[in-house]
Amino acid sequence: MIFLFLTSGLFLGWTLGANDASNVFGSAVGSRMVSFTRAAVTASVFVIIGAVVQGGGAADTLGRLGSVNAMGGAFTVALAAGLTVYFMTRAGLPVSTTQAIVGAIIGWNFFTDNAVDTRALTQIVTTWITGPVLGAVFAYLLYHLVKITRRRIKMHLLKYENWLRIGLMTVGAFGAYSLGANNIANVMGVFVPSIPLENADFGIFVLSGAQQLFFLGGIAIAAGILTYSKKVMQTVGTNLMELSSEAAFVVVLSQAVVLFIFSSASLSGFMVRIGLPPIPLVPVSSTQVVVGSILGIGLYKGVSNINLKVLGSIASGWITTPVAAGVLAFLMLFIVKNLFSIDVGHPVNPPVSAGEGVSMATIIRYSIPVLLVITAVYLVYLVLSEKKKTERLNKKYYE
Amino acid sequence: MSLFTRTNRELSVRIDEFFDTIEIGILIFKEGIKAYVNGDRNAFQNHLAKIDDLEGKADKLQRSIENDMIVHSILPQQRSEMVKLLWQLDEIIDTAKKSLNEFYIEMPHIPSSLSHEFISLSEVSGNSAEELIPAARAFFREPHLVREKLIKVYFFERETDKAAYQMRKKVFHEMNDLSLAEKAHIRYITHHIENISDSAQDAADLLASMAIRQML
Repeated sequence: MIFLFLTSGLFLGWTLGANDASNVFGSAVGSRMVSFTRAAVTASVFVIIGAVVQGGGAADTLGRLGSVNAMGGAFTVALAAGLTVYFMTRAGLPVSTTQAIVGAIIGWNFFTDNAVDTRALTQIVTTWITGPVLGAVFAYLLYHLVKITRRRIKMHLLKYENWLRIGLMTVGAFGAYSLGANNIANVMGVFVPSIPLENADFGIFVLSGAQQLFFLGGIAIAAGILTYSKKVMQTVGTNLMELSSEAAFVVVLSQAVVLFIFSSASLSGFMVRIGLPPIPLVPVSSTQVVVGSILGIGLYKGVSNINLKVLGSIASGWITTPVAAGVLAFLMLFIVKNLFSIDVGHPVNPPVSAGEGVSMATIIRYSIPVLLVITAVYLVYLVLSEKKKTERLNKKYYE
Repeated sequence: MSLFTRTNRELSVRIDEFFDTIEIGILIFKEGIKAYVNGDRNAFQNHLAKIDDLEGKADKLQRSIENDMIVHSILPQQRSEMVKLLWQLDEIIDTAKKSLNEFYIEMPHIPSSLSHEFISLSEVSGNSAEELIPAARAFFREPHLVREKLIKVYFFERETDKAAYQMRKKVFHEMNDLSLAEKAHIRYITHHIENISDSAQDAADLLASMAIRQML
């Protein structure tokens, strides 16, 4: 029965593997620097390791947002997120598994009369914005560093390519580890409270119940990578900007670092120890971090290289995906509960204190900064697109 | 991975060897023209035989480099441009060999009053191709230096055009003792020598764009 309920999560994991593995190895495979088989096997192994070893942090944050306390509810939430991703992808709309699952959990909260933890929600939404921004900053700095190093060391191009190939494999493995660590929460996070498994003792190591679920989710992601990611990998990288092997290396590295930052409990603990605020452990969209990283390289090379429409589509995805997933989850929970009489969850006890509950005033208070950020991003987009248009016209005129 | 590194090392050695072959070929071409104009037939034939060997060697190296790049998926993103560059560099030594062969087969009459012009034409045309080799070598280690190295290629190409123009003008306007057939023959031969610097210019254009893409 547990496996039946888990199928929606495994489906979500499979779609994540099929689509998001391309963020890690897509540029390397697309540019034929790394063969698909080598990339897929490496990504699969490291995704599973990352999910089992470091998947807990981001899953806890999702759990705080909404502790889905019935298997039927977890199944429906994951299915609603999966279907949202599927239909939005088919419609050609920008979509992220992370945002879909968050929307679906909020839909579950509304349906079961559970309060939304606004602190967790704010943390999650803030990282959606800071993730791509950090990706852009890291990519800009790393690309600059790579270029300076290349100029200083005067290495032969063939030797340099060889090192880049090794680098792409290494950062790809790191990226896959970070993807597993950060995004396993999207796949299995909702099942953790509703499926309490006993610890499994393997003699040399012990897997907790959550880790066993993460292991299953990791296998689902790996299955997605091995069975369906080839086409996506071979076509990725050219949508936004053509990437050189150097740029591909930097994009994967900066994405891996960002995902690692938002999933490493030890790093967050270290920040606290040195007197800085903790890093929120939140699932972030790997696709959007990759887009941010490519944008960082684009800014280094000059704005005219970038397809600026993608910026606008990211900002619109922050709103449309969670709303669509939330509405779908609400409707599906209604159907599952009333048509099939399956328990989808109940209000969490003890009752949520007034400060943590969501009220209209809280929604408005948090919506205003979010709207301001979106407006700012849109304005930047308008300014940049205007600049690009002027450049294009000037170029045409002088030609 | 060690096998891959060895292939890369061997390939970089072969690329250097290819550049050496082209460079020596150009020097032999210049010496060959000098020997022909000065009437030293033995030296000319030696140079002709040497350039023939070098051209064959360059062809073999070019094919083996292309083959290894495809088989071992080396420089996948720049491969088509690299293949084109190798082809254009090989074209230079091909043109040089063809030019010397034209001299051997057609034995054009070079009046002594044109000796100096002929030698300097082959010098500047050869220099244009010669200057391309350091730029091509720099592409592999210091792509940011390629453009400044190519300036000399473009300079010598322009000088070649000027020298050939002056010589043709002199032949057709001032040397009335030559028959029209002799004049046409000289014009034809100068055109062949000019082709070397034109090929060098084509290769330089390609190299410049490759270097820019490397630096971005």
